[in-house]
Amino acid sequence: MTFSDEKPTMIEFKDVQKYYGDYHALRGITATIKAGEFFSLLGPSGCGKTTLLRTIAGFEGISSGAVLIDGKSMAEVPANLRPTNMVFQSYAIFPHLTVEQNVGFGLRKDPRSAEEKQKAVDEALGMVGLKGYGKRAAHALSGGQRQRVALARALILKPKVLLLDEPLSALDKKIREQMQMELIKLQREVGITFVLVTHDQEEALVMSDRIAVMFEGEIAQLADPETLYRKPANRKVAEFIGTMNFLPATIVAEDAGKITVDAEGFGRIAIDATQVSRANPGDGPSVGFRPETLTLLFDGQTASDQESNATVSEVVYYGDMTYYDVKLAGSDTPLRLSMRNTPGRPVLDIGAPTRVAWSAGAMVLFR
Amino acid sequence: MKFPVLRVYTVIYLIFLYAPIVLLPVFAFNSSKVIAFPLESFSTRWFAEMLTDDLLFRAAKATLIIAVSSSILATCLGVLAARASTRFRFPGKGGVMGLIMLPMILPDIIVAMSLLVVLLAIGINLSLLTVILGHVLICTPFSVAILTSAFQSLDNSLEEAAYDLGETPLSTFRLVILPLVMPGIVSSLLICFTISIDEYVIASFLGGNQTVLSVYIFGQFRFPAKVPAMLALGTILVALSIALLTIAEYFRRRGIAKTGAKDTGGFL
Repeated sequence: MTFSDEKPTMIEFKDVQKYYGDYHALRGITATIKAGEFFSLLGPSGCGKTTLLRTIAGFEGISSGAVLIDGKSMAEVPANLRPTNMVFQSYAIFPHLTVEQNVGFGLRKDPRSAEEKQKAVDEALGMVGLKGYGKRAAHALSGGQRQRVALARALILKPKVLLLDEPLSALDKKIREQMQMELIKLQREVGITFVLVTHDQEEALVMSDRIAVMFEGEIAQLADPETLYRKPANRKVAEFIGTMNFLPATIVAEDAGKITVDAEGFGRIAIDATQVSRANPGDGPSVGFRPETLTLLFDGQTASDQESNATVSEVVYYGDMTYYDVKLAGSDTPLRLSMRNTPGRPVLDIGAPTRVAWSAGAMVLFR
Repeated sequence: MKFPVLRVYTVIYLIFLYAPIVLLPVFAFNSSKVIAFPLESFSTRWFAEMLTDDLLFRAAKATLIIAVSSSILATCLGVLAARASTRFRFPGKGGVMGLIMLPMILPDIIVAMSLLVVLLAIGINLSLLTVILGHVLICTPFSVAILTSAFQSLDNSLEEAAYDLGETPLSTFRLVILPLVMPGIVSSLLICFTISIDEYVIASFLGGNQTVLSVYIFGQFRFPAKVPAMLALGTILVALSIALLTIAEYFRRRGIAKTGAKDTGGFL
């Protein structure tokens, strides 16, 4: 999931600052979003991600800096004249109109004939899988269907940028996952730049070409999903994206390309200098690694790289996966690891002695 | 068995409330001049007598003009105030809204007296127009109260969605906001209409030589011979009120069904 750098820039934030009275909501946002990209703004509630999205739409002014869309400054452009359309968290379907009146709402000033507009509406409804729903009352639709109407209503205007404000948060899990897939497909089909706001890290990882992780009005890291997951820029990002184990460590030696640390239970680990991220201010160094980078070794299996003795301290069975908490010999810190449940593989009990395989290549040093 | 105190209380309460109104048609259709039991015989003579009364028609016309104009004016003002109070934050909002709502609890007699003094002082002749002015003043708070709740239930993002789809603030108001607050506007018109129709104090103070229905009816009660005809008029007014409220409730329910909102009871 890499994204080519040659694509032209669609949205540019230049040192965007936003104050609500004394509250500093956006603290110097500088970033670019490329044309045709599926871009996500990810962060906990109150981090400024929705505010940033609304500055693109024009619903929110900025205190200083600049927002450019397709090279043009948006400073003097009101929301109704911007080349963006938005899918709202509440969908904002007009309850007094039918489905097709909703979808065709933005075509009111379109010079095309009524028949052509009707054709465009039907096409848009077909695109989101709502063919034949045109005459229905909008308020009689289910959540997922409203979502689709909101999408069709925004996409029919062929905007340069489609803004999505937590569009899936109100849907239940099954429909949400289905809509995620459909949105990805739709985005590839229409080639429009999508900017998604979400607090759900999994959703962001699944859907995006690139993600900006935001905390307290700042972008903590802007990267593709794999980089975010494999090499988070700092401990806060690491904790927000997925699950990560952390073990306190002491730095023993520092060579040109390698940093040797002594981590509780693992002993000496030589970590590549490229795998170093920032610890939280005031914290000592620690090594971090994802649950799937630790593997339980069953009888007869040997590690390809390193192995350590451990004891199972917690078992959580998920059907396809089992999550174990293990404690390494000589350490009291439970480490989370995940194992795929393949046929014939036993699920271990709490207290069972076991061995875990690990590799220094999958570890990140936070210092 | 325990004596059903609350049930009996409720029945007595309702009788006290509605028995006098029920007596209105009873005596209106009674042939006797005397308002007392036993009843004589069924008759429509009081209705016929009422219809010959030219003054009554002039009063009814004046009342209608006042009620229609003041309910429309008050509702227009109500829309503006309710929109401002729900959508915007501005300094002194609490005070301004409080002053707008004040006439609701201010005794009408005070409003009437002070308006009369001012109007006379600046040399404006008393007419239907001055009554309308007074009625707009007392109706607006009710309109604001009704419409504020209508505007409050509007999702802000509906408005933003309309801007987003290329509409100006003005066309957004016309295409999205107005249709959605329409049930509130209808309620407001009806309440203001009702308030204006049975208002007496302001109408008699500011009406000059223009007599409105409420003042006329009160005047007629001085002549015992006229009372049965007034009861006939009252019967017609009660019937009209019931018809009006039924129509209003029908439209309110239809509006709710159309937008799929939950019925929260309305004012009926």
